[in-house]
Amino acid sequence: MNEHNKHNKKAVIANPLVVLREEFDDGAILFDPETGNTFGVNPIGVLVWKHLDGRHSLDDIAEIVRVKAEAVPSDVISHIGNFVQAAIDLGLAGYEVKS
Amino acid sequence: MQVMKTPRNVDIAITSFCNLHCTYCSHFSGPGDVKEDLPLETWLQFITELGHSNTMKIILSGGEPFSRPDLREIILAIVANRMRFTILSNGTLIDNEIAAFLAATRRCDLVQVSIDGAIDTTHDAFRGKGNFMKAIDGIRALQGNHLPVSVRVTIHRKNVHELEAIARYLLEDLELQSFSTNSASHMGLCRKNAAQTQLTIDEHSLAMETLLALTDKYKGRINASAGPLAEAQSWLEMEDSRRENRERPAGRGFLTGCSGPMQTIAVRADGVIVPCSQLCHLSLGRINEDDLGEIWRGHPVLQSMRKRSRISLENFPFCQDCPYTSYCTGNCPAIAYSLTGKINHPSPDACLRQFLAQGGRLPEVTQI
Repeated sequence: MNEHNKHNKKAVIANPLVVLREEFDDGAILFDPETGNTFGVNPIGVLVWKHLDGRHSLDDIAEIVRVKAEAVPSDVISHIGNFVQAAIDLGLAGYEVKS
Repeated sequence: MQVMKTPRNVDIAITSFCNLHCTYCSHFSGPGDVKEDLPLETWLQFITELGHSNTMKIILSGGEPFSRPDLREIILAIVANRMRFTILSNGTLIDNEIAAFLAATRRCDLVQVSIDGAIDTTHDAFRGKGNFMKAIDGIRALQGNHLPVSVRVTIHRKNVHELEAIARYLLEDLELQSFSTNSASHMGLCRKNAAQTQLTIDEHSLAMETLLALTDKYKGRINASAGPLAEAQSWLEMEDSRRENRERPAGRGFLTGCSGPMQTIAVRADGVIVPCSQLCHLSLGRINEDDLGEIWRGHPVLQSMRKRSRISLENFPFCQDCPYTSYCTGNCPAIAYSLTGKINHPSPDACLRQFLAQGGRLPEVTQI
């Protein structure tokens, strides 16, 4: 198993402080009350975000997106990976630390 | 325009009590001036509802928010429910202890303190003796705890000749990042004290000229969404547009002066939900009894206010034959209501044509 595939098997968990505001049918924002920063999210991003629960890997989430969304590109896993990595970099999500 | 599922921001008057009684206060003697405050438990229940509806920010006002002995519990509930807060205050009750508490929450966007003068006699003229130094001490306590602090200067007849000194004091001596201005307007106590407090046409012209020059000197550090500075900026643009016969810009020529009902809702100190803290007579429901989300999305008053932007200024006899109609927004609906009894009406208070007809002059920008 290469590094990329290993990464896709790991489950990511959303920062529980971060608020998902689904403001409109076609748009939402992530609000980090610690910093006051907001980030726009499209409906696919919302779907991904809702599955950052520490139980779904990126592969799992990609499969869910393929089932629930229309016209999903073949490289959706890489788009999801970029989204999740951006969320991790911004402190909006992270890998669960086993105690 | 699409309406959000829930409001982003909620203005809450957590108390109707204020330790001051400023001559031009917009709160006292208005419909928001209720006699009894709600108990802590009622606010905590409502703040939990706001958390569940994913509200982002609460603006705490009053009355004077720091007069509530249980303010800390209210703020801790805001923090626990994943929101941030701003406080609007007269500054006189802020000490180092409460400032340190606010800083420790790491959720405070801003504390806005009202300062009306560069010296105590000017500030205290309408706010009461001794309150200038108390408010300045409050600002210093906030600054000492590295909290974001801003000042709101209400321009009136006794400080209009002191604006340069006020800007110098706030931005140079106190080293504030910025301050904002408005002016005593026809609401609350100001209605009966208008002759004493509200600017005359000449004073209004002077305020506009001075403030514009100050914005040039202190670039980006003085701002306004209403009052002489906002009007100066808007009216000069309107006059240029008229002279050059420009096309009507997007959003002009209609009642577009307020976008508040698209993002924000307010609550009076007695728990009555209203569209705006300046439109406190418009009851939309009551906290913890009525569903905030349902009110926000479906209340006829809010829906009607959101449609103001479709009402052309050309419909109003007040605007007939006005050369600025295509460039005007009709301005604040609350002041329009206060002066005309109608929300869906342009505000005579910020009418350029009327200002000029009364002898007002647009500023020529000079450097200070």
